[in-house]
Amino acid sequence: MELCREVRPAVRKKILLFILLGWVLLIIGDRVDELRVYQGAQIAMYTIALASIVLLTGYSGQVSLGNGAMMAVGGYAAALTLNNLQTPIWFAFLMAIIASAIFGAILGSAAARLSGPYLAGTTLALAVGLPAIANQFSFLGGEPGILFDVGFPPERFGEEFTQYKWFFWISSVIALVALYITSNILSSRFGRTWRAVRGNALAAELAGVNSSRMKILAFTISSALAGLAGAVFAMNISLVAPGAYSLALSFALVTGAVLAGISSLPGVGFGALILVAIPEIADAIAGSLGSADKLNNYLPGLIVSVLLILSVIYTPNGPGENLRKLLHKKHAK
Amino acid sequence: MIRKTGGRRTWFVAALLAAGSLFATSLPVQAETGVSSREIKLGITLPLTGAASPGYNKIGNALDAYFKYVNDNGGVYGRKIKLIQKNDEYSPQLSIAKTNELILKDKVFALVGPLGTANFTAVHKSVGIARRKVPALFLNTGFSGFANKKSYPTSFTILPSYAMEAKIVAQFIKENLSDKKLGLVYQNDEFGIDALGAFKDAGVKFDVSIPYTSGTQSAATAQTWVSQLAAGGAQVVVFFGVTSATAPLLAVSAAAKYAPQWILGSVGSDPLTLRALGVPVAVLNGALTPAGNPSPNDTSDEYIKQFQEINEKYNNADFDDYVLQGMNIGLMTVQALRAAGKSLTRAKLIRAMETKGSSFASVAYSPLGYSRTSNVGHTGYYMAVMDAKGDRKPYGGSVVLYTTDSGKGPVVKSNFKRPAMPAKGLPTN
Repeated sequence: MELCREVRPAVRKKILLFILLGWVLLIIGDRVDELRVYQGAQIAMYTIALASIVLLTGYSGQVSLGNGAMMAVGGYAAALTLNNLQTPIWFAFLMAIIASAIFGAILGSAAARLSGPYLAGTTLALAVGLPAIANQFSFLGGEPGILFDVGFPPERFGEEFTQYKWFFWISSVIALVALYITSNILSSRFGRTWRAVRGNALAAELAGVNSSRMKILAFTISSALAGLAGAVFAMNISLVAPGAYSLALSFALVTGAVLAGISSLPGVGFGALILVAIPEIADAIAGSLGSADKLNNYLPGLIVSVLLILSVIYTPNGPGENLRKLLHKKHAK
Repeated sequence: MIRKTGGRRTWFVAALLAAGSLFATSLPVQAETGVSSREIKLGITLPLTGAASPGYNKIGNALDAYFKYVNDNGGVYGRKIKLIQKNDEYSPQLSIAKTNELILKDKVFALVGPLGTANFTAVHKSVGIARRKVPALFLNTGFSGFANKKSYPTSFTILPSYAMEAKIVAQFIKENLSDKKLGLVYQNDEFGIDALGAFKDAGVKFDVSIPYTSGTQSAATAQTWVSQLAAGGAQVVVFFGVTSATAPLLAVSAAAKYAPQWILGSVGSDPLTLRALGVPVAVLNGALTPAGNPSPNDTSDEYIKQFQEINEKYNNADFDDYVLQGMNIGLMTVQALRAAGKSLTRAKLIRAMETKGSSFASVAYSPLGYSRTSNVGHTGYYMAVMDAKGDRKPYGGSVVLYTTDSGKGPVVKSNFKRPAMPAKGLPTN
């Protein structure tokens, strides 16, 4: 009982915080121009994808480079559900979560036997190979992909309510709910056990933890989150295509997660913001150097790589961690 | 006293409101997006890099070169045209991102010559081209689905559709090759299926029919196609796919000494791309292909001659079909902008395309189909035969033009004479 009383205000505080965040997003969405609204929807999508990496790598200690492939599973599941069964949107998103969770569980069973570079290699192969499967089966639409059309915003929102604002709303709500659930999972018994397994699997086993089962569970939940992100991504661009879930996306996500602080859930918003900002920054740099088309093509990749290297050297736990340490030092003084 | 002050305040507020509203109504009408008194901003998405870029990457610069030529000669009613090219690497999701940038960030007035069937399908849906009422002129794709004016009210095609192409090829086969065994290789997406339906409607039956999925073409898959075609005894093989599939098909056939009469769709018969893919252009020798434009090497043609001059001065690229296509889109765009009048708006541009578009000068031989109910550009082809350099000559020595539609309409021989090239290549319409 004591514990309950202690926990409840914290839970209430967290819920209030998420609702407040939702309000702020809503107001921002009304104030900025349409391009920013569109980018906002992308940020929300990346937030979910990064949360899936934080859960898998940051908490359960499994390195995966195949998040783009997980997203593809979710995206295709959602699009196939919506197009073939004419279901409501929420059901398509639900199917994305279920399909990618099942896929993650299967993959996790294999992954639980692997670790370190072997796991990274396996998931990398997945990121390369899986999207290409779309080319082999005609119902997956080949290289051009298949359209994923969630429809126009409801008429009661008025004429001024654009398609992108609709995407932004849906993406933001999904991201907030997903983050809320993820943060609860991470602070639950599972989160603690994952950290125990990550820290020392043998010690955790001795304490009675079934480490491989926990790893599979982490893979399943992480994959479900990635699949959800994949479906949100598909909604934002109205399309699922193998090219959308490229290897570059998988790498960008890992970079985003490292920048966010691989084991910090609140950091994912920052990581997502950077991922969306990189093409803009590249555009600005290329623009200032004259109209260099070729430069503009390779610059985003270059920036991602440089940021990854710099953050691994200087802020291996993310800039958020450094900030926290800095604040602690000040307090200590 | 109090009442007096209150009254004064009311008067003051009323006066302020009146003055404010007067000021508001006297404000100039808001200018159209992408148009100023000095400039018209246009945008194009196309593959500047990547596997599909050879050839296509020349269209943007050719278009820009033509606009620069027009700008140096006074622009369009005094406004200079500024073209913004965005590289989409031929990937639909990049097309969406780049078109978003063009419309939301660069705020272009209209899109010209966006490239690719899957790309524009995705862009139209995702970016909401129709809902935003953004004109998309002269789509560089032959997908007949875009001919649906209700679904694509602000878009206009330029190329004859794949369905028209297939119908004309079907007619040609019936007239000239009806006693031969027929084979077909086609890409099983909108592109090839468009053609397949037209062949079926025309009553042309293939003895061997091989579909392939875009992206799977390779020497190994071409090997299986060739063995199937040879086993089926196909003497005439019609190919509806991209050049990166033509290349292994022709190379493998040549190596296997399998030499049917090739009929290559207009998309898959580009000599430049073949060369870029490392296949000798000579494999094209004797292949038949439906063509819309004169050969880019035909300097006796007034359009070609003028465009070559502009290319030399403003572009300095090898003058080929892609450069020709880019320049011709430029020529038609300028006519459309002029036809929309001096106070340019998006609505007026679309109206101009509908009411005056069919009379525009264009290098292609066939009539333009633009009207209030149709957004279809060119409507016909002539059959050409290719030589060992990949250059084409009209089959039988002179151009025999066939016209048709994308539906059930008949294929007819046409005596249409295209409008003359405007003097110095500068429209005065």
